Amino acid sequence: MNAEDYKVTVAKDIADLIPVFMKNRHKEVDALRVALAAADFEQLRQLGHRMKGVGNSYGFTHVSTLGKHIEEGARSGDRAALAATISEYDEYLAKVQIAYE
Amino acid sequence: MRVLLIDDDEDLRTLLSRYIRAQWSDAQIEAYDPLERDLPGESFPLGSYDVVVLDYMLGRGDGLEWLRILKQRADCPKILFLTGAGNEIIAVRAMKAGADDYQRKQELTREKLIASIRDLTATEVERTVSPDLAARMEGHSLGAKVRIPGIKVLHMIGEGGTARVYLASREDDDEPLVVKILRHEIVLNKKALERFMEEYAMVERIQSRHVARIFGHGTYDENVYLVMEFFEGGDLSKRLGGKPVPPAEALKFFRELMFALGDIHEKGILHRDLKPQNLMFRRDGSLAIVDFGIAKNIAAADRTGAGEVLGTPRYMSPEQVQGRALDLRTDIYSAGVLLYQMLTGKHLFDGETAMEVAMHHLNTQPPPLPDHLAKYQRLVEKLVEKDREARFRNADEVIGFLARNFEQDKPDVTQKLH
Repeated sequence: MNAEDYKVTVAKDIADLIPVFMKNRHKEVDALRVALAAADFEQLRQLGHRMKGVGNSYGFTHVSTLGKHIEEGARSGDRAALAATISEYDEYLAKVQIAYE
Repeated sequence: MRVLLIDDDEDLRTLLSRYIRAQWSDAQIEAYDPLERDLPGESFPLGSYDVVVLDYMLGRGDGLEWLRILKQRADCPKILFLTGAGNEIIAVRAMKAGADDYQRKQELTREKLIASIRDLTATEVERTVSPDLAARMEGHSLGAKVRIPGIKVLHMIGEGGTARVYLASREDDDEPLVVKILRHEIVLNKKALERFMEEYAMVERIQSRHVARIFGHGTYDENVYLVMEFFEGGDLSKRLGGKPVPPAEALKFFRELMFALGDIHEKGILHRDLKPQNLMFRRDGSLAIVDFGIAKNIAAADRTGAGEVLGTPRYMSPEQVQGRALDLRTDIYSAGVLLYQMLTGKHLFDGETAMEVAMHHLNTQPPPLPDHLAKYQRLVEKLVEKDREARFRNADEVIGFLARNFEQDKPDVTQKLH
């Protein structure tokens, strides 16, 4: 990903919601890892689906894209792809830069 | 205003509550977590809410099932149903189950949420005094009135200059479809009506996977309608979102567009209004062109009156701006403008007014592509040559150029199927 891909713009009037949103996303990574370790594909699918819904709503398009990949990976039971996507998600959350306007 | 918000995601409940309170400061919102609570029972005061926002996947429960049960209650208020994107059959089923409106959750913006709740909760007085709202209400009630054999018209999803657009479904299998109902003012305009009917006749004749499938047309109570396929992938405008797409993907879309043009030109038809809103994606990612509202038969006499310029200025060919007789190279030029936009995320020409943009097509040399896209410069130049004699002559010539120069850029095999 380019540096530009890590930049997200969020409306100022929801800035106060972002810390909780980010905290929940980090928790989501943990939940995804636990579900993958347990090969709980239904849980993975549900988590991916939720990411898909919530990411775009807050302006984090890439979270939605990764959610879609996780949902698809869970449907096909592709553990390697899921592990790679979860790592990418973790890295994305560590690097994302949020601007408020 | 009292709103019941049923969604299994805490962040989404918080966000939607914030949007609603920002619009209606006195709104009372109950955030209902279906992971913690079961379906509201008989004792739940459903009738005390003005509107329910209900998600389609509730973690433990099925939103559609909740919708059906809630709608059986006499005190059920209006329900805005949130569906998944790219899965319109859920929307079809929700509307058939009694939802009053639906929104694709992934594409739900503050504006869409507020507009939907406003429409659902508007009083009779508000519906009368607001022209926009009154027009939308008229559109909704028109859709409910029109009867098409084997088709159920479900919900108005858009309005254009010539037609209102509805989500519909085939009664046999719930297959999502689009019904376009022509505006009355267009029906009264003989020339515009002829164009609309030509759109149907021409597109039906084309039978190409690169062109929207038309399933029928007709009239009901002086309403002229067209039934066509529903595109779950949305349009190119949405796909671009003001940004470039990766070059290999841009080239894939462009190549498909060339196949589409090859097919329609072969039938002697010009599109004349190519723009991102007229390039639609199916769920499998394939692309098809729609909206032949101003297309015309190449062989037909030019009925465009003097001074009347049809098309969208951003994508118009120089000869179109001049109102000259057109041939298929006008579509090649517009496709070139689209390719430039896909590659760069920017319009080929900008301007304060439509006229200014149109004049750029006549007089201004196209800006060069950025350095990292230099390998596409020759292609774009030859597509948007102002002198059509110097332009690619047809879609086949462009496809040949792509094959010779960019074969390695193909992300996957695109076959021309009929």
